[in-house]
Amino acid sequence: MPKVDRKALKKYISVFTISFQQEFAYRVNFIMWRVRNVMQFFLIFFLWDTIFATPGVNVFGYTKAKILTYVFSLILIRSLVLSTRSVDIAPEIARGDVSNLLLKPINYFKYWLTRDIASKVLNLSFAIFEAGILFILLKPPFYFQGNILYILFFIVSITAAIILYFLLVLLFSMPTFWFPQQSWGFMFLLLVFVDILAGGVFPLDILPVGIQKIALLTPFPYLLFIPTEIYLGQLNYSSILGFLAVSMIWIFVLVYINQKVWNSGLRAYRAEGR
Amino acid sequence: MKISNIKNQNAKIFNKYDYEFLSKFFKSVTTYILTVNRRFIYYFKLWLFMSKNAFLVYILDRFSFSIFLFGKVMRFLMYFVFLYFLVKGTKTLAGYNVNQTIFFFLTFNVIDILAQFLYREAYRFRSLIISGGFDLVLAKPVNPLFRSLLGGADLIDLVTIPPLFVATYYVGSLLNPTFINAILYLLLLINGFIIATSFYIAVLALGIVTLEIDHTIMIYRDMIALGRLPLDIYKEPVRSILTFLVPVGVMISYPAKAMIGLISIQGIIVSFGLAGISMFLSIRLWKFALKKYTSASS
Repeated sequence: MPKVDRKALKKYISVFTISFQQEFAYRVNFIMWRVRNVMQFFLIFFLWDTIFATPGVNVFGYTKAKILTYVFSLILIRSLVLSTRSVDIAPEIARGDVSNLLLKPINYFKYWLTRDIASKVLNLSFAIFEAGILFILLKPPFYFQGNILYILFFIVSITAAIILYFLLVLLFSMPTFWFPQQSWGFMFLLLVFVDILAGGVFPLDILPVGIQKIALLTPFPYLLFIPTEIYLGQLNYSSILGFLAVSMIWIFVLVYINQKVWNSGLRAYRAEGR
Repeated sequence: MKISNIKNQNAKIFNKYDYEFLSKFFKSVTTYILTVNRRFIYYFKLWLFMSKNAFLVYILDRFSFSIFLFGKVMRFLMYFVFLYFLVKGTKTLAGYNVNQTIFFFLTFNVIDILAQFLYREAYRFRSLIISGGFDLVLAKPVNPLFRSLLGGADLIDLVTIPPLFVATYYVGSLLNPTFINAILYLLLLINGFIIATSFYIAVLALGIVTLEIDHTIMIYRDMIALGRLPLDIYKEPVRSILTFLVPVGVMISYPAKAMIGLISIQGIIVSFGLAGISMFLSIRLWKFALKKYTSASS
C-alpha cells in the first residue's frame, strides 16, 4: 500500500477548508448562482412535463418517470460535475498571478483540484436541499435504480466526468498563456460546448443518429448525458463498458495534451501585469 | 349701453386674451419640441460616438470577436435543432406545431439580442460602481442612466441581428398572419422591448444598492429564457407568475401569440399597462438608487 504523505495531505486539507470558507465570503454571489440553477431547471422540467402530459406516453424511448428522473438527476449531477473554481485559472494566468502559486511548495493542479472539490461539496449540499424542496413541490414520478451494478457503473462514470471536466477547464484555460486578453473567450467556448453537447438541456438521443454519433466522439456527453443514462438503465452492459472506456481514453488524451500545453505555456508565460 | 355693444367689447377682450394665450402656448410647444429634438440629436450623436468606440475595440481584437461570434451562433443553432427535432418527434408542444414553437423561440431571441446589443454596457456597470468610476459618469453633462445603459453597443450581437430578423420574418410568414396580426405583433414586440429595458434599468439600480450586478443580470437572462418556449407549458401558479408578476409572458409570449391570432383585446391592454408600470417603477428605483450611491473606493 502506498504511504500517505501526511504533511502534504494536511496542506490540501487547509486549501480545502480555506476554499470552502471563501465560498461563504461571497454569500450573495453563491445564493444567486443557486437561484440561477433552479430557474434553468424550471424550463427543462416543465418542457418535459408538458411533452409527457398524456399518461403512458413513450417518447424517444423514455417514459415520463425516466425523463423527469433525468431532469431531477441533472440538478445533482451538474452540481457535482460542473461546479468548479478552476475557471479562475485563466484570469489568474492573464493577471500574472500564477507566479505566486508556482513559487509555493504546492502542486498547482492538486491545488485547483482541491478547490474544485470544496466547491463541489458545497454546491452538492445545496443541490440536495433544492432537489428535495422541488421534489415535494412538483411531486414528479421518479425512477429508482435498483440494480447495484448500474449504481456502481454510475459512480465510476461520475468520477470520470469530474476528472474529465477538470481537465477540460484546464485545457481551455491554457491558451491564456499566449493570448492573455482572451481569458474569458476560451472559457465561454467551453461553456457553449458543455451547454449543447453534454446533455444538460435534453438527452442527446432525441437528435438524429448522425449528430449523436458525432457528439459521442467528443468528451462532452461523458460529463452529464452518459452518467444519467447509466443511472436510468437506458444502456446495456456492453454499451456502458464501451462508453466508460471512451471516457477513460479521453482522460488519458487530455492529461497528455495538458502536460504538453502546460510546459510550452510556461515557456511562453511572461507574468504580465506583475 | 346697448347689449350688443357690451357683447362686442367682451368678445374683443376675450379674443385679445385668447390670442395671447394661444401664441404663448404655441411658442412654448415649439420651444419644447426644438429642445427635445436638440436633446435627441445630442444623445443620438453621443450614442454613435460611444458605439463607434466599442466597435473599434472588437475590430482591434478580431480573434476574440470570432470566438464569441462562433460560440453564440453555435448555441443558437443547436437549440434551434433541438427544438425542431423535439417538436417534430412529439408533433405538438402545448398545442403548438413546429413553426409556431420555433416562432416563439425566434421572438425571444429578437428581444433578447436587441437588448443585449443596445445595453451591453450594463454588463460592465459593476466595475464602475466598485471602483468608484461612476463618479466620473455623474460629473459629465450626460444622463447617467443613458451612459450606463447605452454606453457601448455590442458588435457581435449587431452581426447576428440581420439573419435573426430574416429568419423571424420567414417563419412568421409561414404562420399566415393577417395584416392586423402582424401590426399587433410589431406593437407588442416594441412593448416587450420596453419591459426588457425596464428590467435592465432595475438591474443597474440594484447594482448601485447591493454592489451585485453580474448574477442579477444573469438571473434576468435566465428568467426571460423561461419565455423561450410558449408559457402554456408551465403549470399554475408558475404560469401566472411568469405572465403578470415577472412579465416574461407579456414580453415574449404575447407578441408571438398575437402573430398566431391567439391574443384577446384584454391581453393587449394588460400588456401595454404592464409595460408602463414596469418602466415607471424601474425609473423610480433608479432615482432611489442614485441617492444611495456612496462613491465607495473612489
